[in-house]
Amino acid sequence: MPSKGKPAKSRASEASKSSPQPTTTTIASATQPPLPPTPPSDDTQTVSDRAKSRSAAARPLDTLLHQKGGALSALSRQDQSAWLAARIASRLAKRPALAASATTTGGGAAVARLSCGGGPKTLKEAWKAVNELSLPLRAVDSTSAAAARKRGYCYRNGEGDLRVKEFEARWEKKLVLSCLAVESRCFRDRRERERRGDREEKTGEQVVVTEHEVFEETRRRREMAALRRELYGGGVGKDGKLATDPEWDDVEPVVLEEPEGALAAIAYPADYAEAMAYLRAVMQAKEYSERCLRLTEHIINMNPSHYTVWLYRAANVFALKVSIPDEIAWLNRVALSNLKNYQIWHHRHLLVENYFPTIASDPATLSTFAAAERSFLQQILSQDTKNYHVWSYRSYLVGKLNLFGDADELAAIEAMIDDDVRNNSAWSHRFFLVFSNPAHASPGFAATEADPKVPAAVVDREVEYAEEKIRLAPQNQSGWNYLRGVLVKGGRKLGSVGEFVVGFVKGLGEGEEAEDVMSTHALDLLAEIYAEKGDKEKADLSLTRLGQKWDRIRVGYWEWRKKCVEAPA
Amino acid sequence: MPQTFNQLPEELQLATTAHVKYIQSLDSRKDEYDYWLTEHLRLNGLYWGLTALHLLGHPDALPRSETIDFVLSCQHDSGGFGAAPGHDAHMLSTVSAVQILAMIDAFDELETRGKGKAQVGKYIANLQNRETGTFAGDEWGEEDTRFLYGAFNALSLLGLLDLVDVDKAVNHIAACANFDGGYGVSPGAESHAGQIFTCVAALTIAGRQDLVDKERLGRWLSERQIAGGGLNGRPEKKEDVCYSWWVLSSLEMIGKTHWIDRDQLVAFILRCQDPERGGISDRPGDMVDVWHTVFGIAGLSLLQYPGLQPVDEVYCMPKSATAWVLGR
Repeated sequence: MPSKGKPAKSRASEASKSSPQPTTTTIASATQPPLPPTPPSDDTQTVSDRAKSRSAAARPLDTLLHQKGGALSALSRQDQSAWLAARIASRLAKRPALAASATTTGGGAAVARLSCGGGPKTLKEAWKAVNELSLPLRAVDSTSAAAARKRGYCYRNGEGDLRVKEFEARWEKKLVLSCLAVESRCFRDRRERERRGDREEKTGEQVVVTEHEVFEETRRRREMAALRRELYGGGVGKDGKLATDPEWDDVEPVVLEEPEGALAAIAYPADYAEAMAYLRAVMQAKEYSERCLRLTEHIINMNPSHYTVWLYRAANVFALKVSIPDEIAWLNRVALSNLKNYQIWHHRHLLVENYFPTIASDPATLSTFAAAERSFLQQILSQDTKNYHVWSYRSYLVGKLNLFGDADELAAIEAMIDDDVRNNSAWSHRFFLVFSNPAHASPGFAATEADPKVPAAVVDREVEYAEEKIRLAPQNQSGWNYLRGVLVKGGRKLGSVGEFVVGFVKGLGEGEEAEDVMSTHALDLLAEIYAEKGDKEKADLSLTRLGQKWDRIRVGYWEWRKKCVEAPA
Repeated sequence: MPQTFNQLPEELQLATTAHVKYIQSLDSRKDEYDYWLTEHLRLNGLYWGLTALHLLGHPDALPRSETIDFVLSCQHDSGGFGAAPGHDAHMLSTVSAVQILAMIDAFDELETRGKGKAQVGKYIANLQNRETGTFAGDEWGEEDTRFLYGAFNALSLLGLLDLVDVDKAVNHIAACANFDGGYGVSPGAESHAGQIFTCVAALTIAGRQDLVDKERLGRWLSERQIAGGGLNGRPEKKEDVCYSWWVLSSLEMIGKTHWIDRDQLVAFILRCQDPERGGISDRPGDMVDVWHTVFGIAGLSLLQYPGLQPVDEVYCMPKSATAWVLGR
């Protein structure tokens, strides 16, 4: 019987008014237990689960079928009819127009299709069943992902695993972020208008972006960056400290794109990557400004070994005519935290080269500067007494400021040797101070050359000093090397210290019990003294004992020395 | 000499496979903090790693074409190379670049895809201070005998040594000779094994070893060996594997390696390796790194440890490479 369009329609429209309710729905069935009630939405559920339970509640018969393992035959006859009825009805509910046409004579095919092969009577019976059972009509078609997404029942990026409250909180954050983005957009527009020289609509005055607005915008961007990071993670040049600083807006950071799998490719922490990207940009633009200076400091804090940033800093310091003493004060702090870094010392060298001409003719300032430098050198050397870069800077400074005759400088070095007689750097510096002193050294003479210009008194003093310190640590090479160097400089025979040297060697060649060598360097020098005197036997004995017992590790050297004694060059 | 190595206990053998793996893995440790902190050494690091691999007999362990790509990507229009892409050109990275290309026989690619040998030579030559003869590291003028050596090293490999004033440079080195027989970074500076290597090697390249007081220097160098067999770089400092190269190669150049106890040194270097994870550290038990790895291996090669390719004591590259490039 063709069902009357109106009744069907009215039923359909009636049915369509009812929305799926998570209410207790039971299927009238004598043989099956009622479906469990749909649990009320609670906050411990994840949103995916909530969607699933809502969906299940809206399709009680499908759920029942699923519970029975999916075979219609497992359902009771009544439930089977009910299931079919629900099916048909939900199709009709989606297409009221079809339902209407089903009643006309020309809609036979449609009816057949809708009613799963039945006729108009099937449709009527289906509606009847649905009405009696109060089945929900509008249920999400779970097989259509697009439909699911549309209704918000499909969650991406792990959002589905969030608890209900968390999910709602996340949505709120997204809303806030969108609102802030709108406000930020307004700020940028305003600033653009300011640049163009626009005028306010209302007052006709020039558009001016106030400090307060900038301050607000900075805060806003930080908030946005924080939200974005929370919601979606970060990215170089998008949400770092510099990208959120309006002061850097006009700079397009140069982000290096590393090709996939590049040999020796580089991965950085986000802050550093961002700072480097901005550095590249301003270096390319050859900008020298306060903000660049601050940028170099920022990078140096993260990686003081990056030599390019130091060079760029120097360029900024000179371009901005920063006070060199101020810069040195800053550098001192950095040096103390980075004892092994040598760029710091080259930077200092550049600063002094720049500064010196401005104070060269002012003895008072020179003196103050020298004292300040000495004070800092003492401080840093106390932490790393043999730092090669510091000492080599020190020799540079002595040369630059002509501190050769400076009593304070000599006293400072003596103090270091007093502290640690084995500090070879201090010994080396002393030699430089004394024997390169333009006051009494021949200019251009090599360190290894005898220099007749050096006063005998100076040579005497240095020999005495060396001997005094050698007594404190007879096996320390530095004192002995120094002594030899002094003798060469002074053009003196090695034998002139023979008495001193022989004191460190007792009972040479007189047997294991009697022989006592307090210093292998003494025995070495003694061998040379004997050779110098022409006493080959004693020279040979000394060298033999060194190779056999006292300094076996260098036996190759001692053997060679013996050969030299036999056949001097 | 070689017989003594059989007497070494099992655990003191060279862990070649582990070292090769270690060097190969360096490129993949991009997420390690130290990796980006040492970005300014990236090209140098590649030279160190590659040299070690060549000496270990595994020259192909790093992919050749990617190596060339990376090296050329560091080159600037001036001809000089930076330490990594985007880094300013510097003498040290330029020298490393030239050495790498020489080792893998890629000078042709330098001509066709890079800026060419002549441009590199020009970059280096421009860094010479024509008054004093020494070399700066870059346009900013930091001067150091390391740069002088680097210049001689790279220019001689490129066949362009005549672009610079060799005599003036040689005079500068002579001025750096110290009272104790050693050489410092500049005139008057303390003698230091690293500086000694650069000075002596530069003089060797220039054919001016006659200026070296070999006996005095050899004496000073032999004193670097301390109880335990390791070498230090200056009096009263700790031993460090990298001095196995600086001191030993200097001794080799002046023909005095027999002035130290070589067996003890071999044992020391082997004790500094990490036989499981590969790599060599500055002294036994410390963290390994590629710098100490290459110098430890180069030292062992100089000491004729079996299974290693001979190293050129002047260039710190496999002898096969320098012989081929320099035709010697």
